[in-house]
Amino acid sequence: MSSLFIAGHEFHSRLFTGTGKYASADAMMASLAASGSELVTLSLRRMDLKNQTDNILLPLQQHGMKLLPNTSGARTAKEAVFAAELAREALETSWVKLEIHPDPRYLMPDGMETLLAAEELIKKGFVVMPYVHADPVLCKRLEEVGCQCVMPLGSPIGSNMGLASRPFLEIIIEQSTVPVIIDAGIGAPSDAALAMEIGADAVLVNTAMAVAKQPAQMGKAFRLAVEAGRMAYESGLGERRVQAQATSPLTDFLGALS
Amino acid sequence: MKIVLNDAPYEFAGETLKDLLTQLDKSEQGIAIAINQQVVPKSLWRSTELNELSQVFIFESIAGG
Repeated sequence: MSSLFIAGHEFHSRLFTGTGKYASADAMMASLAASGSELVTLSLRRMDLKNQTDNILLPLQQHGMKLLPNTSGARTAKEAVFAAELAREALETSWVKLEIHPDPRYLMPDGMETLLAAEELIKKGFVVMPYVHADPVLCKRLEEVGCQCVMPLGSPIGSNMGLASRPFLEIIIEQSTVPVIIDAGIGAPSDAALAMEIGADAVLVNTAMAVAKQPAQMGKAFRLAVEAGRMAYESGLGERRVQAQATSPLTDFLGALS
Repeated sequence: MKIVLNDAPYEFAGETLKDLLTQLDKSEQGIAIAINQQVVPKSLWRSTELNELSQVFIFESIAGG
């Protein structure tokens, strides 16, 4: 299985993971370790001055994970740029998952603000990984302004609806010259395998692993699914056909009996 | 002196951002600070002095997708 390169960084695993929604830091680490993931997302928020927050940073760093801060909570390009600059200081990385959703109900990404923010962040030297709709035109525009990859959604965040946007994802994959990472909505390992089979370069999974009854085992299930899907893609899948095509030679020896 | 910290009044006994973190008993790991909407790089925390007009926001990294 080939490695994935983003901004010159080599990833051996094509499974990127989120750190949200886990019952505990231990459950999170067990799941992430079993998943083989090398890139994990984190969020920023205003510090809780009264309570000490669980330190998840240290175990992630000790495990050698590359950290990808997101701009979650930003509703405009301006807020997202500010969040990215804060994240760069907090986590000492210029990589950022750019996500801008003005509406908390459906958490739909705002494509126009995302494009504006991406342009500005790229000028400021960030490696921008934009989370967007499965919009082939927008993905192309993001690529043109210098995004190092695109992250179109499969279905709404946390919905577990899988690749509802498949026809558009396939166009994005076909057109893109930067890695395509399918993010959001991947609810089962089979969704992840399908994403890889249709040619996605990676997937990002969070909810499906974090809320599983056995997060560690689910992490492994996703690792296997992503590897299987990628291997199948690289091996070359057969074409779909409407009619049967025999796998055994159709000899007519039975005819000799009549 | 009274500063505004994360949108609430806060009685601060020191001078610099570094002093503020000491007073709050917070680690420098995984955090970022902005004063009056400007991000202050970590390298300047020791030398950045606060005054009564300072609107300070401290952010921390947490789990997220």
